[in-house]
Amino acid sequence: MAAAESPSAALRRRDLCSRGIRLAGKMRADVVDLLDAYVEQQGLDASASVAAMEGVPLAAVERWDEQTGTQRLLENLAAYRAFRTLLAQMLEEQREQLGEADAGLGRALAAVLLQVSAFAYHLEELLRLESRGIPGEEGDGPPPPPRLSLFEQKLRGLGVLRELAQWAVRSVRDLRQLGKPSSAAGTAPGLAESP
Amino acid sequence: MSPIKRIFYQDGFYSPNYGAVSVATDKNYIYPGFGGLYIFNDASKEVRRKRAYGKELTSFFEDDVYSCLKLLFLNSRRMWKNSSLRCLLALAILCLRSLMYSQEIVSPGDPQNLKCVTHNLHKMLCTWDVSSRRKHGQTDFCYTTNDLTPQVCFKTKERRAEIPVPESSITVTIGSSGTAFPTKEFVIHQKDIAFVPVTPRILSLMPDFPTSTLNLKWSDNGSIFPYGLDALWEIQILRKEAMEVVTQVTYYSKLTHKDIILFWNWTSDMPLECTSHYVKIRCYINATQFVGPKDWSDWSPAEMIPGKDAEPGGSGVFPLDPVVAVGSDLTFCCVHEEDQHITNMTYGSKSYTMIQLSRRSHAIRVLNASISNTSGTNVVCRLENGYEGSVVFVGYAPDIPQNLSCETPNFLIIKCTWKPGRPSGLYGERRTKYSLFERTSGKNVSCEVNEVNRDHVCGFPVLPDQKTYDFILGVSNPIGQAQSSLLVDITKRVHPKMPEKLTVTGDNSTSIQLRWFINGSFAETRLLCQIEISSSHSERKLHNVSIPGRKSSTYTAQLNALHPDTKYQLRVRCSAADHFWRWSDWSRGVEQTTSEAPPARGPDIWRERSPSGESLIVFWKPLSLSESNGKIVSHEVSCYLLETLLEHKVVFEPSNSTEIKLGKSDCMISVVARNHAGSSPPSKITSVELPSDNITTDQAVAMGNGINISWDSYPNMTCGYIVKWCHSSGSEPCSVDWQKFPSNTTNAVIKSDLFKPGVRYNFSLYGCKSMGYQLLKNVTGYMKELPPKTAPNFIVEETSSDSILVKWEDIPIEECRGFLKGYLLSFAKGEKDALKSRLSESGNPELKVNNITDLTKKSMKILDLQGKTSYQLELQAYTAGGLSPPNSLYVVTKEDSVGLIIAILIPVAVVVLLGVLASTFCYRKREWIKETFYPEIPNPENSKALQFQRNICEGNKTLKTLEMNPCTPNSVEVVETQSTAPKIEDTEIMSPAAETAVPEDGSDSEMENHVVVSYCPPIIEEEISNSPMDEPGGSSQVVYIDIQSMYQPQIKPEEEPETGLVTTAGYKPQMQLPISALKIEGHSPVEEELDKTAGYRPQANTNTWNMGTPDSPGSVESNNENASFGSPCSINSRQFLLPPKEDEDSSKPINTGWSFTHFFQNKLND
Repeated sequence: MAAAESPSAALRRRDLCSRGIRLAGKMRADVVDLLDAYVEQQGLDASASVAAMEGVPLAAVERWDEQTGTQRLLENLAAYRAFRTLLAQMLEEQREQLGEADAGLGRALAAVLLQVSAFAYHLEELLRLESRGIPGEEGDGPPPPPRLSLFEQKLRGLGVLRELAQWAVRSVRDLRQLGKPSSAAGTAPGLAESP
Repeated sequence: MSPIKRIFYQDGFYSPNYGAVSVATDKNYIYPGFGGLYIFNDASKEVRRKRAYGKELTSFFEDDVYSCLKLLFLNSRRMWKNSSLRCLLALAILCLRSLMYSQEIVSPGDPQNLKCVTHNLHKMLCTWDVSSRRKHGQTDFCYTTNDLTPQVCFKTKERRAEIPVPESSITVTIGSSGTAFPTKEFVIHQKDIAFVPVTPRILSLMPDFPTSTLNLKWSDNGSIFPYGLDALWEIQILRKEAMEVVTQVTYYSKLTHKDIILFWNWTSDMPLECTSHYVKIRCYINATQFVGPKDWSDWSPAEMIPGKDAEPGGSGVFPLDPVVAVGSDLTFCCVHEEDQHITNMTYGSKSYTMIQLSRRSHAIRVLNASISNTSGTNVVCRLENGYEGSVVFVGYAPDIPQNLSCETPNFLIIKCTWKPGRPSGLYGERRTKYSLFERTSGKNVSCEVNEVNRDHVCGFPVLPDQKTYDFILGVSNPIGQAQSSLLVDITKRVHPKMPEKLTVTGDNSTSIQLRWFINGSFAETRLLCQIEISSSHSERKLHNVSIPGRKSSTYTAQLNALHPDTKYQLRVRCSAADHFWRWSDWSRGVEQTTSEAPPARGPDIWRERSPSGESLIVFWKPLSLSESNGKIVSHEVSCYLLETLLEHKVVFEPSNSTEIKLGKSDCMISVVARNHAGSSPPSKITSVELPSDNITTDQAVAMGNGINISWDSYPNMTCGYIVKWCHSSGSEPCSVDWQKFPSNTTNAVIKSDLFKPGVRYNFSLYGCKSMGYQLLKNVTGYMKELPPKTAPNFIVEETSSDSILVKWEDIPIEECRGFLKGYLLSFAKGEKDALKSRLSESGNPELKVNNITDLTKKSMKILDLQGKTSYQLELQAYTAGGLSPPNSLYVVTKEDSVGLIIAILIPVAVVVLLGVLASTFCYRKREWIKETFYPEIPNPENSKALQFQRNICEGNKTLKTLEMNPCTPNSVEVVETQSTAPKIEDTEIMSPAAETAVPEDGSDSEMENHVVVSYCPPIIEEEISNSPMDEPGGSSQVVYIDIQSMYQPQIKPEEEPETGLVTTAGYKPQMQLPISALKIEGHSPVEEELDKTAGYRPQANTNTWNMGTPDSPGSVESNNENASFGSPCSINSRQFLLPPKEDEDSSKPINTGWSFTHFFQNKLND
């Protein structure tokens, strides 16, 4: 398929990848800033280790280098869609708990949420370019998680932001991989394998 | 018999040894009652019962008597000491009763130990013991309360029976059916019956975990008791697995002969989740009519509220996300799995010491909690493999709202505002919530308040037909609540909204119409609206309008008496007219310019004849804005002679004068100002100028902010006075200005913003008669006098040996800057020198000053001066404002020649006369003189002893012993003295070594004496090291040192430290020394030798000193040395060969210090 890829499509893909890399880089920087503000505002220990939480996609993956381009895009898309939901939930909780107080953190959260949404849309564009169908979002999504205590909410927020920062790095690498001219060949088996 | 081991006391145990004694001492007494040993307390009357119900009466009493006796024996010493009679009496009674009962039940095998206890005061349960032989079979049980009632009998297999509680006593007969055992009869009095209420039963125990509260519910069983009994309930709270008593409280209630459910709650200081809690209850009924002993019921079974540590898998930090008040003491616990280990527990950032509650629960105690931040304070329990946590919000209960105020902007809604007071520190869902409750209508409104913006406003709808509102503002948050109330009549609290849509209509020059809109239902009230009118040339004015209110309507108002051609800024605000409360905000402003109207009056005019008298110049002043009523476009000037128009001119703006060719004739001048709306009324003035004589000119200076001009009263000046003056600014022609005064005025203060200090103004006072204007006087004035700008120019007209004639010129008027008062002529001896300061400031003691106040005097002769002396003259003019800058001159008086001649001739004559006299005397006495002063001396040549003299003065054929002719020696050596004789020639200087030295500049090479002055080389290694190579073996050399570098050490000695020694030694002309002899460092042996042998070398030729020496730094100090002949030559000395040019000038004053040297030098050069 990649061999059949037209020069304009390849150009378009490279362009999308490079823009995606810039978006992910900006997002990473903003998430890191937000993480600092979040830790300080929530009175958490920055060094606290947070166990993996249900619903938070993990950036770590085995055999990353063996992934096809489509796999990368699909995993990224799924992750950012999940982050979009998680961040929206965090924002809602933030509003509930703080009201109008500390609006700065709320604004920063909203800004990152917007970037995550934009990045997800960007990934969808890349998937379209790959002539792949975009997986539909689950209608009602997963069942709402059980009501967490405030401390658990804080820890989950910390975990979400940390994992999002990790994902931003992974996305940059994924998109670099995807944007390489040679990667077109690399993606071919993946595209062929994928349903 | 067994001794009494212990006496039960409610709060513990008493040893029998001490208990009895202490009981007696503490005014307790023991009473042996039915069912046990009772201990009574006088003070409280509280009954305490020894728990001995299970014992048989006999044995009990036997035991007790024994015990009493033993006690008595054991404690006899103390008892006697305390002499408690009551104790003895009690013991006596106890023993007697014991004996009595023992007599009754003396027979073995009979029923014994009949005990009766009532739980409800109606029935009592009696139990008894029988011997083992009678344990089987039925028992006949009979009782009777008194003789009148029949005996009640029944059979029972049990050894207990329930019978009524007697009012006084009951006789019980117990026998065995169908046996030979005897029947036993007991008489039971009420006082022998124990009253122990039924053990209460806890109906429910409900925990409220968020508030850590236990809610207890139980029944008082009041239906079984008579009405009105007091009941005491003792409730015990226990905690942990070990059931440690946390608290015990007594609850009081009154029995109402009904079963009442009682409630009680208790708030734990520790979260209920932390560990299990237990509750027990018992009761005591104070049946005062019942004379028997009364006791607490047994404790109910403990009800348990299990903690999370009792739950399998239960874990977490508790309380979970609480909201507490600032200053609270808090307990947090961490419940975890049994196999987990807690690392630490923190509150905020601080770690606390943990208290173990159970194997699965640990707690920390936080005292005096401070306010938390917006996201709460984290309580974290760090486990080995994770975290448990809770977030606590510490804040304040809401403050009472202050300054609650309600008003309506439109009779549709009531807006209430208040100040919230201290912030609660709680946000989001824990924020302070407000509600507005109106008591009259019962309507409640929840208020949305922005906590952060502190904008506390709540709206309440205006209800139909209700004017008075009784508001209660309720405030609550999770910590507490408060409220504030306000009774308000909204018709008196109307604060309309800002008027909108303000528009202006109308093109009249003096009136306009305003329209605006106010949203609101003001149909039942009047509105008072205020219109603010402001313009650029008038003060702000407020115009009030009262208007009947309408429902959301447009209101209009007419504004009259406005000024034409004026731009007005208008805005409106309104309030309720009937009960003023507050103005609305101002509406946005609108602007409107009224149309023009003809000028209100004619211009102020004046006229002047031209210098030639052929024409008349007519002047007018511009009308003020309030008079012009529009923009003046032109002025029409007409000249009438007896209603005949001679001339008519239209002069357009901005000109304010015109010239009319009138010749020598006169006319009536009329001036009209015109704008777009029309013409002003004419202003008229006659051109006739009446003749005047004896016109005086006065001087006037401003006093304050104007120039005061006064004049005598002129009765014939019927139409007033005019003061006319002229403003001149630079090169522009003078602009005429004037001011009119009524005829009764005799002075005027002329003010003008154009007046400047130091400028002369000429005022003319005219009187107005019906025929024309007459000049009365002239006045010259200054707004402020300043010192003259320049000094008068002066010259020296004539100079003699003792006088100078000085002449000066007038200062131009414009440079006087005030009325000239005089001149100051100062003089003193002094030579022309640019550096010298002004004479007047020099402080010269010989300064003489002449003050010339006669302004007509233009010259002055200064006398009594010294001849051939330089004088400095200064001339200054002065006004009341001060002195002008001085003008200076230097004059040298002529020499007094006659005196000089006399001074020369007289000494010459005296000398000649003395010479003649001496010659005459010598001539006459020549023989005597010869004999006396010149006796005949033999010729030494004739003596052989003096033959050596020939060798000495060889060639001198006429040698004589006492010949005074000088003889030049071959060599002169001066040792340790400085020779001042310039004629001594130094042979050292003439030595061949010295002759070989050739100065590079060659200036001295052609000198007759062939004296070479050597300059010691600078102590710079490079130069020194090169020199011996270039000029080995004592060759002489003049080393030129760069002038700049030579000066540097003088200026910045630190920059060339190695030359510091040299420079401090100064620069001196030196004899040429062998270079090899000059070493840089210290004194080399050669140098030392030189110093010793030839260290002092006279300088042969002072010509070679040249002009460099004065120029050298430090030359002043070195003058004397240099002026001395034969001065030692320091090898460290240096010499500038080319002194800096600038120093030549500056050294001139110093030359005076070198006068001798110069003189000598000049002489030599000559």
